Amino acid sequence: MSVWLENAIARGQGADDWLAPKRTQALELLAKTAWPTRKTEAWRYTPLRSVERSPAKASTVAANLLPTSVADLSAIELVFVNGRFDTTQLTDDLPEGLSITLGKNLSSGQQGEALANISTIKPERHLFGLINDVLSQDVLLVSVAEGVHITQPIRISSLSSQGVESHTRVFVNLAPNSRLTVIEDTHAQGDSLTTAFVEYQIASNAYLEHYRFALQTGNNVSIGGSHFNLLDHAKMHSTLVGFGSDLTRIDTDIIHAGKFADAKLNAMYLLDGKELFDLHATVEHAMPNGTTEENVRGIVADRSRSVFNGRIHIHPDAQKTLAELNNRNLLLSDRAEINTKPELEIYADDVKCAHGATVAQIDKQALYYLQTRGVSRARAQVMLNFGFINELIDLMPNAALAEWVRPMIRERFLQMEVN
Amino acid sequence: MSNTQSLLTIEELYASVEEKQIIKGLNLDVKPGEVHAIMGPNGAGKSTLGYVLSGRDGYSVESGSAVLDGQDLLEMETEDRARAGLFLAFQYPVEIPGVSNLEFLKASVDAQREARGEEAITSAEFLKEAKAACKQVNLPVSFLKRGVNEGFSGGEKKRNELMQMLLLKPKLCILDETDSGLDIDALQVVAEGVNSQRSADRSFIVVTHYQRLLDYIKPDFVHVLSDGKIVKSGDASLALELEAQGYAWLQKEPAEDELEG
Repeated sequence: MSVWLENAIARGQGADDWLAPKRTQALELLAKTAWPTRKTEAWRYTPLRSVERSPAKASTVAANLLPTSVADLSAIELVFVNGRFDTTQLTDDLPEGLSITLGKNLSSGQQGEALANISTIKPERHLFGLINDVLSQDVLLVSVAEGVHITQPIRISSLSSQGVESHTRVFVNLAPNSRLTVIEDTHAQGDSLTTAFVEYQIASNAYLEHYRFALQTGNNVSIGGSHFNLLDHAKMHSTLVGFGSDLTRIDTDIIHAGKFADAKLNAMYLLDGKELFDLHATVEHAMPNGTTEENVRGIVADRSRSVFNGRIHIHPDAQKTLAELNNRNLLLSDRAEINTKPELEIYADDVKCAHGATVAQIDKQALYYLQTRGVSRARAQVMLNFGFINELIDLMPNAALAEWVRPMIRERFLQMEVN
Repeated sequence: MSNTQSLLTIEELYASVEEKQIIKGLNLDVKPGEVHAIMGPNGAGKSTLGYVLSGRDGYSVESGSAVLDGQDLLEMETEDRARAGLFLAFQYPVEIPGVSNLEFLKASVDAQREARGEEAITSAEFLKEAKAACKQVNLPVSFLKRGVNEGFSGGEKKRNELMQMLLLKPKLCILDETDSGLDIDALQVVAEGVNSQRSADRSFIVVTHYQRLLDYIKPDFVHVLSDGKIVKSGDASLALELEAQGYAWLQKEPAEDELEG
């Protein structure tokens, strides 16, 4: 057992608020969970030393942190500062059919309903998900009413001051035939430890456009998950952009709990220095006629390390499933490390399922072609690396976000080149 | 002509690929404004010549020289050869998804302007030029936004090569089997584009297996490349002769290796 975990458990005990029943459940599960070692499959390539050594402490000191500004993005801002939801940054002028509230402000009847949903989508196996169950102060509940299309995106920012440990939790409910865009963003000032988990219930015929940005670098530990439950004919399109840090770990779970659901996930990560980035993506096809398309691309430079575990599980009832998983990696240095593991488990016989993982160095033919046009080798390398990621940026449905993240990625390539 | 300074002089060039000698004592002299056709059977070293002159990795020069406009080509990096005025139109242009054609073209033009000590062209000005070039080679302007050659048909790729040539304005263009895979209409578009670029100070080396392209791009000289060297040279009529008789009569022994490509 780790000191850090013991300490977290101790802090989670005794609170007597509306979330107490969930905490008790999570504490029971945690008591039975061993602290991961190299032998724990889910953490095999991701040591937790940086969690145990993290100097971050929970803080109640108020801090004035604002979300990053994104040109041409007019979002409904949901801001957590050091784990606490900042109500002052929320507009009181929400569109019709959209409700946003902290659980503690609900009636006890509504709280009971919320308790019945929370943690049902996020699988129990995520250790830090359980820690988040125990340590998050409240749950922010976002809900779109039936048939309502919210055109303005919602952005959830988890912001941390230097040296602060914080835990944020959100549950998003899309009623049948509704539409919503949600952007998850995490930012910290260094020496922080953040867990940020969001669950999405996507009812029949609803559509979620989703983004998760994990762009904090440096001495930060950032662990979180986005978990999606798709009912009949529900659709989702998710984009994940990550840079590494001391430790960045993201778990995504896509659950086809209804028929004819459709999920797309495009993930890209660019690592430099000694950064570590770990993405575990799991897709459960429990019902028939679902489609999943996952494109995951990573570029690792210097002494950085990436871990990708892509699991697709097709249950016996999930006939006529179409699932595709593709992980492509570029290795820019001999000392960088890529760990990639596609995992297919198929129990239905009438499905189409494909997966592939490649690790490559830069395409020499393309490099030569660019050079024959007068482009220097160094510049050509940057162009090709950028192109490898740019393909996925081009697929982002939100143009303002694409134009915001594109120059940041370009900037990162230039840094990766210098090293 | 004889007192005009040469644009390209290749003397006694020997070059190999993966330790196999392909170019075996090649000599060629190209003066400004001339169009030279190089014909020959498969495996003669036609494509290799373009790769060696442009400095492709894996193609090593054993001996001999190649001088472009007074500069020793073989000592230069690939990008510097391009900046010195060499352009190779590929037989199989490379697809680069994620890098837009426009970005690629501008990076090329910028690099070459910078090498000449000129200021970078503004994006707006470049877009105007690129659109005009698109029109000239009969490619829709939307192709500027697509990934470099990504999903282009064979003809579209060749026209894209031509567009690069129009924008880069090289001194010496090597067209490597530009006619391969083109139907007659596409061939005419490409030939017209090349012909529009012929001038007193720009030269062409047209590498081709078939005489057909030379109906549209009239060469000043025709050379037959066989087993790594030029075995016969003549004027445009030589191409017709080759068309009628094939290459066999020029070869000491049949070329067995099929390393072309």
